[in-house]
Amino acid sequence: MKDNISERTRWLVCAGAGALAAAALRRWQLASAFEPPLGLSVPGAQASVILVCVLLMAAAGLAILALSGYSRAEEEHCRWDLAFLGTGDWAYPVLEVLAAFLALAAAPPLLKMGWGQWQDYQEARARLAQGIDVQLPSNNGMLALATAAGALVCFLGLLQLGRDGLRPGKRGRGGFSAALPGVAGCVWLMESFRAHAANPVLWDYAPLLLAIVCGMLFYMDFAGISAGVCRPRRLLWMAGMTFILSAAALASAVGNGWADVLLLLSQMLGAAGVLWRLPPSLESLPRTKARPHPRTLGEESIQEETTHE
Amino acid sequence: MGHWESEAERNSQARPAQPAQEGGEPSGGKPRRETSGGRELYMNVRVLVSMMAVFVMMFTFVARIIVVSGPSMENTLWGGDLILVWGLGYTPKQGDVVVLTQESYQEDSIVKRVIATGGQRVDIDYGANAVRVDGELLEEDYIKEQMFVPGYGEGINHVTVPEGCLFVMGDNRNESADSRYPDIGIVDTRCVIGRGVAVMFPFEHWKRL
Repeated sequence: MKDNISERTRWLVCAGAGALAAAALRRWQLASAFEPPLGLSVPGAQASVILVCVLLMAAAGLAILALSGYSRAEEEHCRWDLAFLGTGDWAYPVLEVLAAFLALAAAPPLLKMGWGQWQDYQEARARLAQGIDVQLPSNNGMLALATAAGALVCFLGLLQLGRDGLRPGKRGRGGFSAALPGVAGCVWLMESFRAHAANPVLWDYAPLLLAIVCGMLFYMDFAGISAGVCRPRRLLWMAGMTFILSAAALASAVGNGWADVLLLLSQMLGAAGVLWRLPPSLESLPRTKARPHPRTLGEESIQEETTHE
Repeated sequence: MGHWESEAERNSQARPAQPAQEGGEPSGGKPRRETSGGRELYMNVRVLVSMMAVFVMMFTFVARIIVVSGPSMENTLWGGDLILVWGLGYTPKQGDVVVLTQESYQEDSIVKRVIATGGQRVDIDYGANAVRVDGELLEEDYIKEQMFVPGYGEGINHVTVPEGCLFVMGDNRNESADSRYPDIGIVDTRCVIGRGVAVMFPFEHWKRL
């Protein structure tokens, strides 16, 4: 049991430390690496260089952690569908349910923003139709409204994950519902890109885009567990990087409205849930009964759980 | 077929088949079709999500497609043209068509041609319809028509461009807000998003820039 705890602790500590470092460096970058009044980035600014180095080191560190911790040979004949079962483990479902409600909380500000943009756009069109010379806004608000819908889809998917975790023995696969936040992330990504498409300062929005992309791919790998496409190491790596990149993006998103903040927090909690639950599962993988298994640790509880099916 | 299915087969040998359970459960008695269908669906969704991620990352860091709005670059570019803009590792050069954002003028990006780069001297003579850079007359076969003095006055028409900056103008000089216009003025090179490479759409306008 000690090994299980230490493996989980290792992942959580690494991801947490990386997230803290990335967020602190991002704040430092915001304070020192942009020139007033236009906010153009200072070429070769120390904070930017160090932030890139820290992110690369975090990516490499997590990759080493993922590759060194587990044997690929042991992945064969394992019951990956049970990887997220944990009788009595409340942390994982609670984290997923919290993530779900944070995603839900992001919907109202997105709806308000999208509706406002839509009305402005329609107003400008009406004036143009009347022959009044006004500039038509480049944003008609549709993507913000679609992102609000995506936040609702994300809520449903994460809530289902939480419910699956709360009802061990019923499902416990990680759930195909994890694909829903991944799909919703596509709309969020498009909206974020559109909002910054004319911004020549990449550093203003690259951390946010990277966090969203990492979150999307993380959720897709998460969903893969229920579809027989199990990449546990990559899932752990993705979860760690989602946690770290979201923290970096969060450090600069605070001043840009609540929607991004809530969605970033949501995917951070989603990733934290996986970092909490998956390492112990990998240490004592449920195995198919037809094959001999080298470990007995956890087997009793797993058999007990599978009998609930 | 994935290894889940073979596991399911093994499981079915190890214990008696159970009634069908919720979708995709690989343990005993699960019909194969559902597992396979779920996997197919997942793979398709994953490809779409991955493609979206790749496209947006490419548009952010490598190249973008931008829609031209307004007449300022006629007859080179027309309103509604879709142009491919290359951003990765680009350093602006004289004569390039560039996409840039000057927030002192507007939040949306604008398309202009680079007339002079850092350290060069620009002199515009409206009477002679001539633009000189470092004293040399530019041969501008791309401009739409003869230049007239803009409504806001001659604006910035005799200037040495500071290092790290650009002097840009539209090809339709009489309907272009550009570096001559005080709200835009000399543009920092960091404001440049990328270089216009080609007109992609409509196809009848296709050309390299």
